[in-house]
Amino acid sequence: MHEISLVQGLLQQLHDLAAEHRTARVTKVTMVVGPLSGVVVESFQFGFDILTREDDLVRGAELEIVIPEVSYRCSGCGAVEKTAGQRPRKCSGCGDPILIAEQGMGGDVILQQVEMED
Amino acid sequence: MCDACGCQTHIHDHDHGHAHAHTHDEAVIVDVNRSLFAANDAMAKSNREHFDEENLVVLNLISSPGSGKTTLLEHTIDRLGGEIRIGVIEGDIETERDAERIRAKGVPAVQLTTGGACHLDASMIHRGFHRLQKEPGGDSLDLLVIENVGNLVCPATFDLGEHQRVVLVSVPEGSDKPAKYPKAFTSSQLFLITKTDLLPYFDFDVAEATREARHLNPGLEVMAFSATTGDGFEAWLDQLRNLVSQKKKP
Repeated sequence: MHEISLVQGLLQQLHDLAAEHRTARVTKVTMVVGPLSGVVVESFQFGFDILTREDDLVRGAELEIVIPEVSYRCSGCGAVEKTAGQRPRKCSGCGDPILIAEQGMGGDVILQQVEMED
Repeated sequence: MCDACGCQTHIHDHDHGHAHAHTHDEAVIVDVNRSLFAANDAMAKSNREHFDEENLVVLNLISSPGSGKTTLLEHTIDRLGGEIRIGVIEGDIETERDAERIRAKGVPAVQLTTGGACHLDASMIHRGFHRLQKEPGGDSLDLLVIENVGNLVCPATFDLGEHQRVVLVSVPEGSDKPAKYPKAFTSSQLFLITKTDLLPYFDFDVAEATREARHLNPGLEVMAFSATTGDGFEAWLDQLRNLVSQKKKP
């Protein structure tokens, strides 16, 4: 459950942003959670629900989670497969099991956008 | 100055100048686009720079509880303690037990207890390393081994500033671990299969574990050994000797 510590880091960022923009409430948070980030979306949502309940700034805010596609390049035939789902077990073209993930946002967890009110 | 302990480390993990828009009903929309790992990654980078200044090789050991991380360290210290100056940072949820086992070998060790957290992060290592440097012998090391909290999931997500990440799977755990816990294997440089003296008693296929791990990470180095019997252990010791001697070269 490292998702809880990531949500704690997120809340700190939201407090900093609210102070910077002099706002009193966060109404919506948009996150990008890469499929290779090692973060379980349900656990992140659970951590967000639990921790924001105790937080006057963020309580009741909507959490939108965007899952980006990751490109997997086959080391055999070079074909590229894109999916936001689980890592493919093998190339759907030639069956080679060695697929190289092109990380990009796929391995990251990004605070993309925050909506706040005065 | 770093926030963690007031040392002279500079951390730059903030970027300012977000785009933002005000709509008519006073809602404020800010495009942030900042990684939740940014703060940890910045601290890990600063740790790595610190380790490099000290000519120190740093390993981060990751495995399930009970794979034999501490036992591996004990046997490593027995074999290399006379030629390489080793220090250890132990991560656990509770107790000093592992650090005590390492200190009993005459090697400086610091115990980090996370109090429930399932992984170590870079700022814990930053503080832990400062503590280790105050221990007898802790300020002149060749090799620092960080034993992460026993967990094959969460530690894989946090860079500590190590030079090599080492993932262990012991024979009783089964050879399906790479397929089930891919991130620990995609983020590591070295995969150790431990307790190979138990191969006759368990259904563990070394070739399958190696194959599955290399499907995920073709560059992954794999070693199989028993620290207890010493079978295959020399390859691991040579790896450590090589890493340390490469670091010493100007």
